[in-house]
Amino acid sequence: MEENNIILTIKSLSKYFGALKAVDEVSFEVKRGEILGLIGPNGAGKTTITNVVTGTYPKTSGSVIFEDTDISNLKPYQIARKGLTRTFQVVKPLIGMTVEENVLVGSLYGRDKRNTDMKNASKRAREIIKLVGLESKKDSLVSDITLPDLKKMEFARVLAMEPEVLFLDEVMAGLNPAEVEEASILVKRVRREKELTIVYIEHIMKAVMGISDRIVVLHHGRKIVEGTPQEVVNNSAVIEAYLGKRYAKEVNNEG
Amino acid sequence: MSLQMLINAILLGGLYALMGIGFSLQWGISGIINLSYGAMVILGSYISLEFFNLFHLDPFISMIMSGAILFVIGAAIYRTLLQPLIKGGIVFTLILTFALRLVIENIILKVWSADYRTIRVTYAGSNFQFGDAYIPLIKFLAFIVAGILIYLTYLFMMKTKTGKGIQAVALDKEGAQAVGIDVEKMYLINFALGTALAGLTGSLWASIYSFSPHLLGSIVGKVFIIAILGGLGNIWGAAAGGLLLGIAETTGAVFFGSEWQEALGMVIMVSVLVWRPYGLMGKKFFG
Amino acid sequence: MFNNKKVNIFLIIVGIIIFIFLPRFVSGYWVRVITTIFMYAVISQGINLMSGYMGYLPFGNAMFFGVGAYITAIGMGKGLSFLAVLPLAALTAILVSILFGLPVLRLRGHYFAIATIGMSGALLSVVQNATEITGGAMGTTLPIIDKSPEVTYNYFYLAMLALMVITTLTIYLIIKSKFGFGIRSIKANEEAANSMGINTTYHKVIAWAISALFTSIAGALYAYWMSFIGPEEVFDVMIAVNTIVIMLIGGAGSILGPIIGAFVISLLSEVVWSTFLEYHLAVLGITIIIIVFFVPKGITGAIADFVKKRELRLRKKVSV
Repeated sequence: MEENNIILTIKSLSKYFGALKAVDEVSFEVKRGEILGLIGPNGAGKTTITNVVTGTYPKTSGSVIFEDTDISNLKPYQIARKGLTRTFQVVKPLIGMTVEENVLVGSLYGRDKRNTDMKNASKRAREIIKLVGLESKKDSLVSDITLPDLKKMEFARVLAMEPEVLFLDEVMAGLNPAEVEEASILVKRVRREKELTIVYIEHIMKAVMGISDRIVVLHHGRKIVEGTPQEVVNNSAVIEAYLGKRYAKEVNNEG
Repeated sequence: MSLQMLINAILLGGLYALMGIGFSLQWGISGIINLSYGAMVILGSYISLEFFNLFHLDPFISMIMSGAILFVIGAAIYRTLLQPLIKGGIVFTLILTFALRLVIENIILKVWSADYRTIRVTYAGSNFQFGDAYIPLIKFLAFIVAGILIYLTYLFMMKTKTGKGIQAVALDKEGAQAVGIDVEKMYLINFALGTALAGLTGSLWASIYSFSPHLLGSIVGKVFIIAILGGLGNIWGAAAGGLLLGIAETTGAVFFGSEWQEALGMVIMVSVLVWRPYGLMGKKFFG
Repeated sequence: MFNNKKVNIFLIIVGIIIFIFLPRFVSGYWVRVITTIFMYAVISQGINLMSGYMGYLPFGNAMFFGVGAYITAIGMGKGLSFLAVLPLAALTAILVSILFGLPVLRLRGHYFAIATIGMSGALLSVVQNATEITGGAMGTTLPIIDKSPEVTYNYFYLAMLALMVITTLTIYLIIKSKFGFGIRSIKANEEAANSMGINTTYHKVIAWAISALFTSIAGALYAYWMSFIGPEEVFDVMIAVNTIVIMLIGGAGSILGPIIGAFVISLLSEVVWSTFLEYHLAVLGITIIIIVFFVPKGITGAIADFVKKRELRLRKKVSV
């Protein structure tokens, strides 16, 4: 892992919905190969940042530099082709297709400048299905599988796109503690094998702390703290502002 | 544009406004593009024709019967045919309402034939003068009645419990369900209200113009344009859309020739769809 | 439909051969009926590609049929041969689809369907009013083939059969290709498709152009076959409605659906026409309602469900 090698720079990025400043002048950098946790309570602007960075919403102002190019005016498919992609907070499976076909679409499209003919793409899709442990379900329709499997499918689908940077938007939401544990291990393993850079958006504190190299904390659309998990946890501003109560509660809930 | 032309346009537009509202409510709130709407309008005309032939009942009175009969028909159709299919998406409801149109059209052809019919009331020829323009009394009356009916529909939606329920369902289906509103019942009443408005329009139409099953297609074309212009499910939007279409058709006929009338309407509709997909009024639902 | 690929290919080839030689064994009337069935199958395939696979209902697709028919009529009126005018007709339809498609394919669901009706209506008016070029509302004639009617009808029968086979094969290959996965993803979830690197606008426009291409060739053949066309007839929204019904009945999003649907609906309406002359509209309407109610997935869908159920039952028996 190369240190201090910046792959993604978010520079004074803002997104307003009318008078609501969902994201307000947020700046941070993502280093190649790291897992960056992006946390904050509901409405902090985490998903909005994801939506702006990946092109789903147009920005209000600011810029997003991905490998030396400003991608903040590109469409989602163009950004995906450059190698920056995301999962959705609410899973968006391709209804009417099987698990394998879903992953195949990711493999066929996804990042540019790689071999995407049918044969190669199918092979890649099958390998990735195996990697995430969905082999037994590969011929099931996505409408017939459980939520944890859907999340795995979506993860497999973005992996098949072979991105460099991956935004994981609350992939743990709706999973029980055992499944969260399993998913964390999977994410860490895949990150190592695929040399991925991950921006990890999360609610469940325990998962974020265990998995992230660094953490950015958002509150009301603004960045309030940035640092290692230890620094963030011990930051009095963070604890007093909101994390303390919440963290304590989460820890209690999860025993 | 002369005063006479403007008056003609507005009188026609008033009728279009009433006609468009029912279709717009059915599409915007119940989610059904009702391709049998034209058949329902014309059915209202024939109901008035029957009452006129049998009892010499004025269409302005028999319209109550048209509205009531079409309300019941609409409710029955919704309950038995549309409600079970609504989850199948637009293709199914489009095809189903189209099939309904074929059935109603066939019934009309069988009972009343394809000939043009007219209802001639005793005051049909009366005019009065306004400035240097002449206003046919019957068109004026129809315009006023249409205006009252539109206002009553608005009051129903704003003031009654059922109307408010329909609004709630239109704005947020899950939320309405959560507070205990019977969503399916609201869709049913709204759809039946739409067909009732179609029947009422048919009666008013019959008091002024001649009618035949040949009009079916062009009526559907017009209500599409009106609903799109006004924004779906928007009462005042559809009213404005109706007036606008009346004006566009009347002036279009003068400037481009009447053969371009329908094309003009279509071009306006597609342009609005592309540039203002929520309609010219810009708001999605009521108000 | 069935699981064995080789058996399928064999059955299809046998089917095509039977159809090639069928005109020798049936009356001229039935040759014309089956030619119409082939034509409807082609138009329905165009709708199937857009709606069944991509989720965009092109309610105004009859306009491409009309464009194909009229370009052929105008071109042949100027002395061009049919084969020379055919590419022109197809090219015009493709241009129209791209020109109209770029703005309206941004619209979703209902709105797209309605916008295409509007465009179709507007094009109809243009053809009706450009009397000097198109012959106006009264219609226009094409040169008649200088052969016996029987030979002529067989010629169009074979041409339409070939068009149906080519259309179906092309769409089959498209669906199995990368592009096909792209358009199926658009139907499944357009936002997800976009985020996966699929240029949705490009896919939608190209799919509509392919749909326009085949529909316009059907229109061109139809015009030459009839040797007289009127605007109301070839731009009739009913053409689209009929072919949507055909697609639904055969099975939307199934490659053989439109062909099966075209046979079922056309043969059905033959029977309805001859037995319920005065009530044919109502009977047709009621039939559509019944089919939509009881076979919502269409015939191919119902067969697939049946096969799946039987397999499950067999598997259960084995496991017991």
